[in-house]
Amino acid sequence: MARMGMVFDLKACIGCNACVVACKQENSVPDGVFFTRTLSYEYGEYPGVKRVYIPTICNQCEDAPCEKVCPSGATYTRADGIVMVDRDKCIGCSSCAVACPYDMRTMLDPSVLEKGLFGTGELTPFERDGYGRYTAGTAVKCDFCSQRVDAGLRPACVETCPTNARIFGDLDDANSAPSALIRKRNGRQPLPEKGTKPKVYYVD
Amino acid sequence: MMQTSKPLVGNSFKLGYRFQRYWDTSMAIAFFSAEVGAGLFLVSFFLDHVPGMIVGLLVAGTLKPYFHLAHMGVPQKSWRAILRPDRSWISRGALAVALMIGCGVVYLLERTYGLGSAIGLGPAVMTAVGYGAVIGALVVVFYQGLAMAHSESFTLWANPLVPLSSGCYAFTAGSLLALVIGSQSISAEQLGMLRGLSIILLLIDACVLAGIVVIARNKSPGGAFSVNLLLNGEYSSLFRYVVIFLGLLVPLVLLLVSQHFVAVSLAALLMLSGFFCYRVLLFKAAVFEPITHDLAGSIGLPRIS
Repeated sequence: MARMGMVFDLKACIGCNACVVACKQENSVPDGVFFTRTLSYEYGEYPGVKRVYIPTICNQCEDAPCEKVCPSGATYTRADGIVMVDRDKCIGCSSCAVACPYDMRTMLDPSVLEKGLFGTGELTPFERDGYGRYTAGTAVKCDFCSQRVDAGLRPACVETCPTNARIFGDLDDANSAPSALIRKRNGRQPLPEKGTKPKVYYVD
Repeated sequence: MMQTSKPLVGNSFKLGYRFQRYWDTSMAIAFFSAEVGAGLFLVSFFLDHVPGMIVGLLVAGTLKPYFHLAHMGVPQKSWRAILRPDRSWISRGALAVALMIGCGVVYLLERTYGLGSAIGLGPAVMTAVGYGAVIGALVVVFYQGLAMAHSESFTLWANPLVPLSSGCYAFTAGSLLALVIGSQSISAEQLGMLRGLSIILLLIDACVLAGIVVIARNKSPGGAFSVNLLLNGEYSSLFRYVVIFLGLLVPLVLLLVSQHFVAVSLAALLMLSGFFCYRVLLFKAAVFEPITHDLAGSIGLPRIS
């Protein structure tokens, strides 16, 4: 079975955040909630100040701490390695949110689903159509657009990225694009000392 | 290279430290009341002091479930919390709370009204029920600290001394409250033993607290950041004056110089205030580490300090 993962090319990322918007659109992500972020970091002294952009996403860890601490079994890993949350089983205890070292989980506040993007309490047709997949009070996170992966497509953020800074594929396939990139450019995992074995890598 | 970005970034799209924001005051009250109630129950059980056991069960059995449920996103499904005792400290703790309360109530009904005898249960069975409550209470005293220590997200929590601090604070609270509640009903000899135990536990609490701070500061930049918040930053006043001075030092001095009921009661109140403040500050000062700590070396980024 496949082991789906992703590689972020830090030399290619320009911080446009198109990935963030694509994710929002594909998954009807509510206001204030982000399944992916592109973080900026400035360093240096004038006139040599630099800024680098670092995309972040749920790392779909092989040894996922969120899955281990979940008391209700709501968090589980699919056969292809994608870590999912079953909203019908989630009790909203937020143990997973404090267990994730990468801060990539969000507890969905009920008010976010009720007030809508414009804060008027009236949802747009887009929101009405999309919010049905969410249950207030539960944990939400990126699932690599599992519905798109199941249809043989790439996640929305990968599809949208204008500079091919996000590379998605099967890490168990030695010939896949992410596997080749990790080998060629010494892919590094985020916070490996936490022991979570993330399936997201960074190359520079 | 000088870092121009500020280290604490809140919810912005910047690399840096982010505060833990999921376990809040409601959870702090739930944790605090469970440990205080279980600690009091355990101390009272071994002193065979029924009023103390009743108060302990009331505190743990009402405040803990109420505030924990208030924190839950989907409280109507909270029964599912017991489904994974093989992996989750939350499941184990929920079962332990049920064991402590269930067995504790039955045991107290037997002690107060002779329930066991009335329904034909022998003394051995009721003794076993009592020890069932003790086992549950022992788990309750430590499991919340274990759940926190199990989380590698926050260096301040991922520390073997955190569950020890839960237990030590719980027993300290239990012995001080037993001194207050049992001032007229416990024997003078037992009161003296409780006073000595409280003094020793307060000293142990201080040592464990120091150990938590030292380990966190040296373990990772995030841990050092959290410790700095507690010792020199925005939480330093609460940590120094409430947790350490009023919560540990003043009760210690009061117990050493006086056995008067007012002094002991004040010591208990101050200790509980310091314990609660410690619980809240452990949640507030915990920060997520920026993901570049390991990447920094490979891509030439300076570490966030």
